[in-house]
Amino acid sequence: MRTGLKLVSVMALMLFVCGCRTDPDSNSAGTAKPPAQGDQANWTIGMSQCNLGEPWRVQMNADIKAAADSIDEVEVVFKDAQNDTLKQRSHIEEFVNAGVDLIIISPKEAQPLTEPVAKAMATGIPVIVLDRSVLGDQFTCFIGADNKKIGKAAGEWIKAELKGKGKVIELRGLSTSTPGQDRHDGFVAGIAGSDIEVVFEADMKWLEPEARKEMDSALARFDNIDLVYAHNDPGAHGAYLAAKAAGRQKDMIFVGIDALPQEGIAYVKQGLLGVTFQYPTGGQEAIDTAMQILNGATVEKQIVLGSRSFTPDNVDQGGAAVK
Amino acid sequence: MIDQPRGDLATKQQTTASRLILSPGGRAATALLLVVFVGLVFNADGAFFKSATHRDALRQASVYGILACGMTLVIVTAGIDLAVGSVLALVAVCCATMAIHWNWPGWIVVPASMVIGGLCGAVSGTLVSRQKIQPFIATLAMMVFARGLAKYLSGGSKVSTAVKQADGTFEYVDVPYLFRLIDSRVLADSVSVVTLIFFACATISWIALSHFRWGRFLYAVGGNEEASRLSGVPVTWARTLAYVWCGVFAGIAGICQAAQEQQGDPEAGVAYELIAIAMVVIGGTSLSGGRGGMMLTTLGVFTIGYLEKVLSINAVPEAWRLMLTGVIIVIAVQTQRSRRA
Repeated sequence: MRTGLKLVSVMALMLFVCGCRTDPDSNSAGTAKPPAQGDQANWTIGMSQCNLGEPWRVQMNADIKAAADSIDEVEVVFKDAQNDTLKQRSHIEEFVNAGVDLIIISPKEAQPLTEPVAKAMATGIPVIVLDRSVLGDQFTCFIGADNKKIGKAAGEWIKAELKGKGKVIELRGLSTSTPGQDRHDGFVAGIAGSDIEVVFEADMKWLEPEARKEMDSALARFDNIDLVYAHNDPGAHGAYLAAKAAGRQKDMIFVGIDALPQEGIAYVKQGLLGVTFQYPTGGQEAIDTAMQILNGATVEKQIVLGSRSFTPDNVDQGGAAVK
Repeated sequence: MIDQPRGDLATKQQTTASRLILSPGGRAATALLLVVFVGLVFNADGAFFKSATHRDALRQASVYGILACGMTLVIVTAGIDLAVGSVLALVAVCCATMAIHWNWPGWIVVPASMVIGGLCGAVSGTLVSRQKIQPFIATLAMMVFARGLAKYLSGGSKVSTAVKQADGTFEYVDVPYLFRLIDSRVLADSVSVVTLIFFACATISWIALSHFRWGRFLYAVGGNEEASRLSGVPVTWARTLAYVWCGVFAGIAGICQAAQEQQGDPEAGVAYELIAIAMVVIGGTSLSGGRGGMMLTTLGVFTIGYLEKVLSINAVPEAWRLMLTGVIIVIAVQTQRSRRA
């Protein structure tokens, strides 16, 4: 028993030490900002995120926090549903019971969350729906990007880059998910009418190690590959690592989507990707819209976010807007 | 059987051959050959005949294989360790932080990472053998805890070569030498270093299981715990050490994962424990303990590794891959079952 206790205490000590060494700022996206000082009019916004396991959603929370931090009278309470629909449903109920002034939700799925959102609306709390929508019209405003448009922009960029001819590998996110389907459909529309041939396509489940595996297989099978189109930047990076291990990374161009600062943009800066297309989080726009609503203005029901493309030539200038 | 004497001879040879095929090793090898045969038939325009395909198949199976090496010892004691995937992620995060952000040299990072893995194993092992919590529950708790710790330490995002500065901008640092070394290849590019690490882990586990007293104890504990306790086997100690061993190997797998991804991903290794368990079971190690071994697990690792590769080079759609994998696992385990079972 004594040895067991010793082990546990050593473990606890280690955890403590490790905990102290981490950057305190790195996990602040998950915690709420302390209320503003004094008795000034305070707006409380409840934010329910469907899954903080995804870096892009961590970024969304960070963007919301950054935008909210610049406004004194706003406080945002963040909740993470950990990819569980029912947990997210109770978030909405908790926010209603707590009497927040506005709810921002990035829902996991439409159908089961439509009713809780409608109930919150019925109590007079405005709701901003981010990224994924809910059904019907019982919400104040939807803010999201268009994956089809981004996929199409990628397809058109590829068509121009390859001068309308070449062999392309497509590493799909997940062919059963809506973003995966849209990024695929958009891409197909973008390359339509050219001689570009998709010789190999596989699901990499949005994961870098899976992308690397599939790319290994593609490399073994095809001696000539002109370009790799991956549905997200980690996928493009995994493909790059596979090609690099085979000594063939110079023979092909890598295209990714999402353009997070620490992923896609970093890869473009390092010269690994030929281009990455931003899938905007809408964090800043959500807070801007929230302030308009709270100040009594009417806002558009649907706000479609624009995208930007980043290539090695324009990444330092902040990329170019996608038309 | 017209020619009687020759037929006799043939029957005799057949019995020796069939005895070989019906031994656990023979059955595991049959399953592997079956998968390789499928690869030979569906060779994806000759891609299966390229040496690079085999090198990559082995590289991809290596991380799972390293987990399976540790898992074998735990399963021999009739236990199970569900935490290996999460411990892999935890160690990958710690390893990437130490190697990339703190710029520590490899000779500190590697042992430190193994110690972190070993400590997780020690906690699971203590809970199982001293607190008498069922292995499934104890390691399930560790699985959830280690995943949470990995997310906490990394702040929810990947620990990569883009290092966030105090002012919110990113500074890009080089991939550490340790990571490049582990992700490189040797012997005229014919073998990946991670594959060699897997072979080393398999060899060490094999020696521990079959040439050391502790290994014998593990079989005894798995076969009949009460009997081994009565005959003087230090059951608690032997069992705890099996989980520590499994944790250390999960740590090694975590280092390999981080090196190959060039980052520490707190979401890495989800469901890897299931693949590792499948590898052990397809090899022929019994989940009820007391039977099996490292050689069998190695064959199981190859079987699953090649299965994944064959499905991947043929670009089989995801839905079919899942269904085929399920069917093939059942067939492989069925061929594996010994006559006694």
